Amino acid sequence: MARKMTALIAGAGAAALVLSACSGGSGSGTAGGGSSSGAAKVTSIKLVAAEYSKDHTAAFWKQFADKYKAKTGITLDVQVVSWDSIDQQSSTMIQNNNAPDLLNLNVYASYAKDKLLYSADEVLAPAIKADVLDAFVKSGTYQGKMYGMPDLSSARALFYNKDLFTKAGIANPPKTWDEFEADAKKIQALGSGNIGYAMPLGPEESQGEFSIWTFNNGGDWKTAGKWSINSPKNVDTLTFLKKLSVTDKVTQNNPGKTNRAQAFDLFKSGKAGMVVGFSPLAGALDTDKKVNYAVAPMPTKEAGGTPQTFGVTDYLMSFKKPGNQAAVKAFYDLYYQKDQVNQFIKAEGFLPVTKSGLEIFASDPKLKVYLATLPNIHLTPTDDPTWDKVKLAVQQNIGAGVSANGDPQAVLTALQKAAENGG
Amino acid sequence: MADPLSDAVAEPGRMPVPATAPRRRRRSRGGDTPIGVALLWLGPALLLILGVVVFPAYELVKAAFSRYSITGLRLGDAGTTNFKNVLDHPDLITVLTNTVIWVVVVVALTVLVSLALAQFLAKDFFGRKVVRWAIIVPWAASLVITAKLFTLIYDYYYGTLNMILQTLHITSGPIDFLGDDRWTMPSMIMVGIFVSVPFTAYVFVAGLNAIPGDVYEAAKIDGARPWQTYWRITLPLLRPALVVASVLNIIYVFNSFPIIYTLNDRNPGYLHDTTITFMYKLAFKSAEKDVGMSAAAGIFNVILILIVIAIYLRTLKWQEQED
Amino acid sequence: MATVTHTAPPPLVTRRKVGWARARRYVLPLVGLAVALAFLGPYIVMVLNSLRPSSDVVQTPPTFLPRTWQWSTFSQVLGDQRFLNWLKTSLLVATSSTIIVVLAAIPAAYFTARFRFPGRIAFLFLVLITQMFAPTSLVVGLYREFFELNLVNTYLALILTNSAFNLAFAIWILHGFFSSIPKEVEESAHLDGCGRFGTLIRIMLPLSLPGVVTAVIFTFIAAWNEYVVALTLMLDDAKKPLTVGITSYVTGYEQHWDQLFAASIIAIIPVVILFAFIEKHLVGGLTAGSIK
Repeated sequence: MARKMTALIAGAGAAALVLSACSGGSGSGTAGGGSSSGAAKVTSIKLVAAEYSKDHTAAFWKQFADKYKAKTGITLDVQVVSWDSIDQQSSTMIQNNNAPDLLNLNVYASYAKDKLLYSADEVLAPAIKADVLDAFVKSGTYQGKMYGMPDLSSARALFYNKDLFTKAGIANPPKTWDEFEADAKKIQALGSGNIGYAMPLGPEESQGEFSIWTFNNGGDWKTAGKWSINSPKNVDTLTFLKKLSVTDKVTQNNPGKTNRAQAFDLFKSGKAGMVVGFSPLAGALDTDKKVNYAVAPMPTKEAGGTPQTFGVTDYLMSFKKPGNQAAVKAFYDLYYQKDQVNQFIKAEGFLPVTKSGLEIFASDPKLKVYLATLPNIHLTPTDDPTWDKVKLAVQQNIGAGVSANGDPQAVLTALQKAAENGG
Repeated sequence: MADPLSDAVAEPGRMPVPATAPRRRRRSRGGDTPIGVALLWLGPALLLILGVVVFPAYELVKAAFSRYSITGLRLGDAGTTNFKNVLDHPDLITVLTNTVIWVVVVVALTVLVSLALAQFLAKDFFGRKVVRWAIIVPWAASLVITAKLFTLIYDYYYGTLNMILQTLHITSGPIDFLGDDRWTMPSMIMVGIFVSVPFTAYVFVAGLNAIPGDVYEAAKIDGARPWQTYWRITLPLLRPALVVASVLNIIYVFNSFPIIYTLNDRNPGYLHDTTITFMYKLAFKSAEKDVGMSAAAGIFNVILILIVIAIYLRTLKWQEQED
Repeated sequence: MATVTHTAPPPLVTRRKVGWARARRYVLPLVGLAVALAFLGPYIVMVLNSLRPSSDVVQTPPTFLPRTWQWSTFSQVLGDQRFLNWLKTSLLVATSSTIIVVLAAIPAAYFTARFRFPGRIAFLFLVLITQMFAPTSLVVGLYREFFELNLVNTYLALILTNSAFNLAFAIWILHGFFSSIPKEVEESAHLDGCGRFGTLIRIMLPLSLPGVVTAVIFTFIAAWNEYVVALTLMLDDAKKPLTVGITSYVTGYEQHWDQLFAASIIAIIPVVILFAFIEKHLVGGLTAGSIK
């Protein structure tokens, strides 16, 4: 019996030792932040960056880190993470009160709401803020303060296959939705596997595809500060998309389960007549030289409308941690140098975020279609923390609206309810 | 819980102890070796397991009782809210059904195919070594890569499988293996079996090799036909191998993440998810994006697999006693 | 046993037997070929996909053989320093984990098989339970623990994790094997003056070599193909193992299927080499001598 007791005590002791050595703080409250004044200055900061491309992202950040160190003496640890695991990575870090100093993500507002971030007033030089395009300042501002600094932007436009258009007897890209529908039908009628329009409404970025259509119908996610997901215009848009898929049958198989990459593959194979694309797609098409394509503005619902461009920007947000404010400010100072930010954007094939960048890229004839509309670009409501959840709900549900027994009204109403309940 | 594994394995050299005096038996055996010596031998293993598995499991339990923001920031305690939320989730029934189908079908078919394959590999023929090596490849390749490969193979437009089926005139048009709800589960199951058969077959080959040849000789002399020999002699002697293979497979298949996650990459919602991918999506991809809820689902997962294994082993023991 | 006098067997049975024996030589290898193709099939597709440009992989309609052959992918991948770093990490982590597992599991399994001590059942139970935790659910806790110990982004963290996760299986297999070796063997070793440790090394291990080999191959493959934990713990690109690194080849914006598949094929080779070396011992190992 005595031996058993010794065993139990020893075992419990060992376990306790291990656990106590490993348990850190209680975990509630801020992500390791606090007032930065008076705290010792850091000697290294960490950046978690999203991987846009295998060849350019890591290379850019490496040279950036070298320049940064030369300038400030502070080491910049860069962790490049692929897009499909960056959510998991950042969540894991924050759960453990180990947020990085800088995080490159496609949302920011929830982090601002949790009071984790520095605002522009604290870390962004006024001259830089003035240089950022107004549309992006607006989308990066939460409750009056700018927290989301844009790293690059992209805009969508309608890509079409000139050869298929000629074959189908279409002279010009469509300007209205009726023209679009007719053109898609003509291309689909060509047969031999040709598809009128490749429509990606799968969970990867369906909110983007839906956005660009509904913006050109006068619809939007929010109207006058309130959620309007199931507005009549939006329902009209989703019904139109369902019509294209189910009634007209001019889309690829199962649009609700197709992501952008597959839609682009169809266009790159020369099988799709039209697709909504962006500059990286143009880059890939130019490298392959297989498809004779052109880019046009999106068609609007009615004739005579102004085509709306849907744009996306990703953010470089900074976390409040003791002693890192000066280091973070130096980071933004260096990043927004004309040669740095625009070098990154050019290498990855995206669009500028600053007014000075606009001037530099204006000389590229390929980007003309996008640059003209960039200052008035239409974005999703990334300045609302609820959007972070709503976006995920949209991704998981909106594709169902275009399936054979999909109900656009019901899908959008459900999303509206979710948004009103705080996501 | 009694130690079912060594019970399934013969332990020669142990004196049988009268069943009527279990307490006495424990006392006299309990003091056999001092705990200090035991720790010396078990130490490294114990430390590794405690540190790397038990501690994170403890963290998982803590997380399940906490409330988290969408960013991952811990906001405070949640009591049992997370567990309630998981149980109230509208897709829970679908996910559980999928899990049952996935585990049962994959394990059963894997065992059947592996038994046949092992029987085949036990024979000596020209090129046997090549076949043995070929079978290793699905096991050697990482699940993530195999899953990505099958996403390409199953594709509607540029998939190899559709191409082969149409060239051989087995089908007239392409099948949407991944997107058509009727085909998704069978497609996933095929991949699950494909990657599980290699090591299972090897378990059975080893089991077959351990059966002494004279057992078959005796059966032949008694005039037993091949099927009778297999059913009455081979299979019972393969029982330990069957136990090892099925328990391992149940655990691995239940916890299998990459196959289901990658093949469902383009499918929204939870329609074809199992409890493991459901748990992951709750944390990072779903509209809930709730780490606490995901942790609660993780706890349910462990309890579920524990129950499954316990029932399975209990049934085995019960069957053993029946024999 | 009574002797059985065999009279001449009926002619039909003889003819069937002889006919089968002859056909066997051809039928079995053919079946073998079919089986090999069934298991290698998808990987043949992978090889072909690595020998064509990435755009051809996702071209509609598809062709089985490449429309344009591209032979440079393999040398391109092997010349990529990033790839070589990933390969180095995988080799380091998998080999070290395997060694640690063997070193820790052998004493633990031997002791649990041979000696009764307080907590023995609890220990075996613990070992079984740890197999049931999915690494995906433990990843956050692991990150926390290694963060506290300042071991995030170190090879050691990954090695320890892989060792611990595979320990359960190794102990289980070796336990069964050790249990089945008759006590008399050890007793005679004791009589010859061997201590406990000596008995283990000189007698038990050689007899249970198949069990050790089984533990080795299972652990190596598991550590070589581990993904979720490596993804979370390894931050530097150079320290990522192959499973994590090669996902860079196909992103949402750029897809290099040819390089992805070439890299994957190269990743399979070390495992196959290891297997080739130890295959003959493996077959004896997997049921831990339970039938005897």
